[in-house]
Amino acid sequence: MSDLFIVVGTFALCYAVIIGYAARLHLRRRRVKD
Amino acid sequence: MSRTRMLLGTAALAVGIGLWFAFASPVDRLQGEFSRIVNIHAPFLWVAFLAFGVTALASIMWLVKKTPRWDRLGEASAELGVVFTVTGLFTGMVWGQAVWGRAWDWGDARLATTAVMLFVYLGYLALRRATPDPEMRARRSAILGTVAVVQVPLVYFSVYMFRTLHQTPSIRPDGASMPDEMVIALLVNFVAITYVYVALLFARLDVARAEERVTVDADLAGDAVKPPRLTEVEDV
Repeated sequence: MSDLFIVVGTFALCYAVIIGYAARLHLRRRRVKD
Repeated sequence: MSRTRMLLGTAALAVGIGLWFAFASPVDRLQGEFSRIVNIHAPFLWVAFLAFGVTALASIMWLVKKTPRWDRLGEASAELGVVFTVTGLFTGMVWGQAVWGRAWDWGDARLATTAVMLFVYLGYLALRRATPDPEMRARRSAILGTVAVVQVPLVYFSVYMFRTLHQTPSIRPDGASMPDEMVIALLVNFVAITYVYVALLFARLDVARAEERVTVDADLAGDAVKPPRLTEVEDV
């Protein structure tokens, strides 16, 4: 069970980094627009 | 809905499908749940290779054509390559700690060459930030982007050149060393994560184009648009 928890956490962290990067792009785009 | 938003939305859907396959596929008898990490580890690093390849191609095109769009493409793809190399290394470290008993080993050829590749592309991004003149920035980064790509085959073939800790690929032209369900899950994630790269590349290029337009407009306007210094304004 704890192994699955670590694996799910690893997936979540990696996709959080990618979503964070996409969010940063969105904010930069909006700032330029304004 | 804009093209970029549509791409990002469908990329999120592709990731969802990839996650379903990753967690529905059977696990390796020895590695247990940790074998699921390979479903994102290998695609992340494949996308990093692809991204650095695109940077090299864009760099060569800039050296030939000298048009800003190739410079923008090179930068955008290198930035994404760095993001995917970091996530790829992190997933490999978690898997390595569980299966090998160690997260990192500088003596391993694949790990060491991947780390060097990451540092070189971080250097590429640093070089861009350290060069204010657009023409000079494009020229310097095009040269580095063209030369740095030699690391991609070096990282890929390092497991054949030096027999250290990291294993050779599990999927080869002569067949795969894992059951079909696991191969399908891995291939679905390869497609999904490649699609994420394409969607993010378009989003990054949109930002670069918009930022460049603002910079050009400001340059054209010159001093006329500079805000007044409030300390110089006398009270009325």
